[in-house]
Amino acid sequence: MGRRRRRRPDPADAARALPEAIAALSRALPAAPSPETFRRAKFDRPEAAPALWRLLFRVLSPLPADGASASLALEAQARWVKSALRSQGYPRQALVQLPDEGFQGGRELLLALAWLLARGPLPERLLTQSRVRLGDEMPLCECEALASPGLPAPSVEAEGCVDIRHLQWLMGKLRLRWRNLMAGQQEQCALLGQIHAYTRGCHSDRSLGHLSVTETELLRDPKGGRQLLLQLETENARLEAALEWRRRELVFWQWMDTVLDACPPEASLPTFLPRIPKLGAGAAGLLVRELQALQEELREAVEARRAAWQAAVGGHGPEWRAARRALQTAVAQDLAALQRAWEQDEGRSRPHGPCRLVRTEARVPGGPGLWAAGVTEALRAREACLEAVLSQLQSQCRQELARLAGARPGLIWILPPAH
Amino acid sequence: MLPAECSRRLVAELRDALDSCAERQRQLEQSLRVSRRLLRAWEPAETPAPEPTPGPEINEETPSSACPPSPQDLKELELLTQALEKAVRVRKGLSKAGGVKARSPKSGSASSATRASAPPSTSRCAGSCALEAKPPRGVRHPWVPAKDLPGHRLLLVGDGPHMGQGARANKPEAGLGDQQIVPKAASQVPEAFTLKDKGALLRLPEAFRKAASRNARLWAQLSSMQTGDSVDTAAATAKTQFLQKMQTAAGQPSSMLSAAEVRRLQKACSLLRLRMREELMADPKDWTQEYRSLLTLEGLQALVGQCLHRLQEQQELRSVVVEQLQGPCPEGPPRAALPCGGDADPVWSPQLLLYSSTQELQTLAALRLRVAMLDQQVHLEKVLMAELLPLLSEQEPLGHPWLALCRAAHCLLCERGQRFLTVLRDEPADRLSPP
Repeated sequence: MGRRRRRRPDPADAARALPEAIAALSRALPAAPSPETFRRAKFDRPEAAPALWRLLFRVLSPLPADGASASLALEAQARWVKSALRSQGYPRQALVQLPDEGFQGGRELLLALAWLLARGPLPERLLTQSRVRLGDEMPLCECEALASPGLPAPSVEAEGCVDIRHLQWLMGKLRLRWRNLMAGQQEQCALLGQIHAYTRGCHSDRSLGHLSVTETELLRDPKGGRQLLLQLETENARLEAALEWRRRELVFWQWMDTVLDACPPEASLPTFLPRIPKLGAGAAGLLVRELQALQEELREAVEARRAAWQAAVGGHGPEWRAARRALQTAVAQDLAALQRAWEQDEGRSRPHGPCRLVRTEARVPGGPGLWAAGVTEALRAREACLEAVLSQLQSQCRQELARLAGARPGLIWILPPAH
Repeated sequence: MLPAECSRRLVAELRDALDSCAERQRQLEQSLRVSRRLLRAWEPAETPAPEPTPGPEINEETPSSACPPSPQDLKELELLTQALEKAVRVRKGLSKAGGVKARSPKSGSASSATRASAPPSTSRCAGSCALEAKPPRGVRHPWVPAKDLPGHRLLLVGDGPHMGQGARANKPEAGLGDQQIVPKAASQVPEAFTLKDKGALLRLPEAFRKAASRNARLWAQLSSMQTGDSVDTAAATAKTQFLQKMQTAAGQPSSMLSAAEVRRLQKACSLLRLRMREELMADPKDWTQEYRSLLTLEGLQALVGQCLHRLQEQQELRSVVVEQLQGPCPEGPPRAALPCGGDADPVWSPQLLLYSSTQELQTLAALRLRVAMLDQQVHLEKVLMAELLPLLSEQEPLGHPWLALCRAAHCLLCERGQRFLTVLRDEPADRLSPP
């Protein structure tokens, strides 16, 4: 759409505002259809639907579009989109009832897209996923690694029964892979350190000081460098479109209201409930078991202590009552603080997200940035915490197994020597 | 043997863990390849860099002026090229002996003795210019010692990055010796570019710098627009209203256990457990501390009950849901918990992480991997416990299979799969029944 900013009377401006907003949105999203498609979708034109199915698929699939997922047939993509929306709690049934062939229901798809846009910063999130990485990055947490579970791979099916030794073998394989990974990682760090040291003073940005591997590579290989430049420029264009979208989006929401009104009211099916998202099923089950185990432990401890307390309570004087109240308040505050620790989103306290590595000789904090020493400390603390959790789980298992073994007499169990 | 369902789930979990490890390895290997290549001598670029601005430039004092070769130059170079090709044919198979570079003569230039180390850039550029004028075929190969060629002591450029800028710099009368024998490989100028020696001289191209700074600026704008969301509260209100309208139009309850809430409860569980450990370990010195400890434990018990209640009512809901819905759902094996909350704000642009020595970087990286590995191990431990312990307690017969299972389970669960225990029968007189 044109971006001319002539002084025009209001009605023409207003009439242009919506197409421009939609155009900005279409430029900001990856693989979005033309603005015309959006308008057609409002009127439920059949040609609009396939494009919107593909857009929803692209937007919802956690991986960047690669050959495998992009080549899925429209029908398969439509089915996947439906279940993905369902698992996020999408409220409208009409979408689920659309035929899979993908040529109907443009309006419903438009509503689904709007729903996703309203829930969170969708264009920005997509841009972050496909961000051009100019520096040498080290992720400090595993969010990005774990957030891309990939499309379901139906290859591992019908395995049948396995011997537990197969599991032991797999565990050993896993251990070996980690060891290789760590060795390789050390080498990579050494190489990075060298590259950063050798290119000191080359970067135009003083706060960085040296080149990263990507930047050095672009100097070594101009062809690759041109591709990188192209990618950067594409991203810049999308970023600008996203900014423009943010400025203009109000008129889009006003329009979506009319689209929603144009839909026939849905017969409410009170028994239809969206599925718990993919993290829920197995993880929630595990969590229930954990909590139950915890509850059991607490119950035993509390019973024992309460009994001991009751036995000893007689010997306390009148100042006891006041002290007791004070203690109760203190404990209540303590526990409330504990509860706040998980109720509120405290993702910021832990080092989070990828960081660009910068080698520096400076000792003073020149600008915003994390110091490796601080991050190392935080990671050590986390390591200790995880080790503690792991050994606690292991001792729990040992107790349970000992209990089971003890129930069968006539055996001697020789444990391996403790390290 | 394990039952089918159990096997399937466990194998899927372990395969998942193996795959994520393999993916990391793949990415690491790619980075290693790139880094190693950068630290070696850089090969000649395939295509000349089109930019006129200084790229990887070694001798910055070279006054460069673009100049197209004159017709006479071209003719001489034509002759040169033919001679070279002939020599290639003659000395086929030896031309890769590595090392002697040659320079093209410039017509008419009387020689001041230009050694191989003399302004190399000029000759280089001249050579590149020549080479560009006539795309040579075998000419780029390092050349055999010129003395082997009867009558032709030709010098030829073979250096890569500078061929790239050939179009640019050309000094036709640079005082270059016309036909110099390049000394043997041993004393030749190492003209290959290495990061170690000349890395500090690199400069990023202008277009890239502009694009990169614009990129950073746009990201900063975008992030400030998000965090300061009072910029357009009208839009925020419109969005909330739209969502509510969608919800009511569909007419159904929206209380579902979102992934974020499961994560919160997981965090709650670990915090509660941690707190419980602390209380149990602590040694109360007087009755106030004892009472306080008791109250804390009771409080923790209540909180655990609340979390369980919340989870369990959703579990019931879920079983209702599962009956009614059909169709595939993109649901893989249960994943390890996301510690930071995957729904958190996307990270706009990466922060800087400042390190001062390779040792420090290596320690940091090793720790990070270790934390990731431990995370995975904790998750696997929980999964294995959930599957294997019920299995063991259910199976009654005291036979070889059960013992083997028990021993293997102990190994997996208690020793991280690394050590085994030994089981001995106490009554040697008993014959063991065959498995």
